[in-house]
Amino acid sequence: MNQPASSDPLLTGLLARIASHRPGADGQLITRAYQAAAHWHQGQTRMSGDAYLTHPVAVAAILAELDPDDQMLCAALLHDTVQYSGYTLAAMRQDFGAEIAGLVAAVMAVDGIAAEQVHAIGTDIAAALVGDRRALVIKLADRLHNTRTIRHLPRARQLDKSRQTRDVMVPLARTLGMDSIGAELESRAAATLSGRPGGTASGQLLAVAAAVLPPGARDRWRAEWLAELHYLPTRRERIMFAAQIVLGIGRLAAMLYQPAAAIRRAFGVVLAAAAVASGLVVGGWRAAIAVSAAILAVLAAVLWVLRCDDRTRRLAELIRAVRGHR
Amino acid sequence: MKRKPPRMTQATKMVLRAMLADPVADYYGLQLIKATTLPSGTLYPIMARLEQAGWVTSDWEDSVAHITEGRPPRRYYRFTDDGAEQASDALAGADRPAQRRRLDFGMPWPDLPGMSP
Repeated sequence: MNQPASSDPLLTGLLARIASHRPGADGQLITRAYQAAAHWHQGQTRMSGDAYLTHPVAVAAILAELDPDDQMLCAALLHDTVQYSGYTLAAMRQDFGAEIAGLVAAVMAVDGIAAEQVHAIGTDIAAALVGDRRALVIKLADRLHNTRTIRHLPRARQLDKSRQTRDVMVPLARTLGMDSIGAELESRAAATLSGRPGGTASGQLLAVAAAVLPPGARDRWRAEWLAELHYLPTRRERIMFAAQIVLGIGRLAAMLYQPAAAIRRAFGVVLAAAAVASGLVVGGWRAAIAVSAAILAVLAAVLWVLRCDDRTRRLAELIRAVRGHR
Repeated sequence: MKRKPPRMTQATKMVLRAMLADPVADYYGLQLIKATTLPSGTLYPIMARLEQAGWVTSDWEDSVAHITEGRPPRRYYRFTDDGAEQASDALAGADRPAQRRRLDFGMPWPDLPGMSP
């Protein structure tokens, strides 16, 4: 594929994926469409907080595996530009030709088809309504990406979208013969419609665990753990993963807060305050020393526990060994 | 940041051995959890400790795949330039058989059956 050199990782990643499925694709044309999309979506963000451009790129990347032609890939990149910016279909026709502009118009028109119509009239007429069967394929790729990222929408909109996915998009996918996409749309829509609001239990556990960490580290660790959740197929594995992290969060927090220094400082302050206070209250230096010694003992025990990784395990082994030896 | 070497606990050694299987590869947290069978609550403090010691570095994955799949990017770990060497040196030293093993509270104790290194 003729790929112009680029340092934009999003573009190079997309072109690489397209090239691996369609080596004969027109890289120059696709790059132009990417740059137009990047221009018209500049400054816009998705509900997830990512740059909006990641969505048309994702749609084009999903489409890459569905045997698309160059026009479909460009239309995928441009499919939201007219709706969300000052770009017009007329200008797009100037820049990219009538076929691509027509495809984008058709994709925009698919939203207008209601559920009853799809059931009643079938795919061919639906395609005729929007002017191009290819637009239905692009729309399905668009819906698939939105469904995979639906968790960023407010709950009410999640439910609305999922119903529409179930009632319109899934039958559409089946009649087009796109079975794996239809199956994924169906299972994701069903999961959203039956799910609890407020996020998953494991996600909530991880958010709570991360809240214990120092402010600078919270976002990194929570994001890392939430990403790993996607690779745990069963609910039980996800809960175990999250619960174990909650149990170990004390040790991670201890490491990140660098407590040895902080505890020494805190210890010094507490010791001085306690000595002065007890001296004042009881009226003697003996009381001050006794209180200081008690605090010293408590802090030493806390430090010993915090710094031990498997000291307790070795202690347990030692006890077992001693009992066994007897 | 102080770069003192990480404490060579049993769990830490398991993680280092798993990573030394391919010292130049990237490892995700879940991969190491599966390879070592450690629980997640044990693994991540160890990775934080290895990062603090400068043996291991971590970064977000950089690919179109996570964008397409609508999932967040994962974090992967890999050895730093001399991290792998330091790790294998430390493993070699820690596995050195001891004539008499001293417990941390300082008392000499002869080898007892059932005590692992």
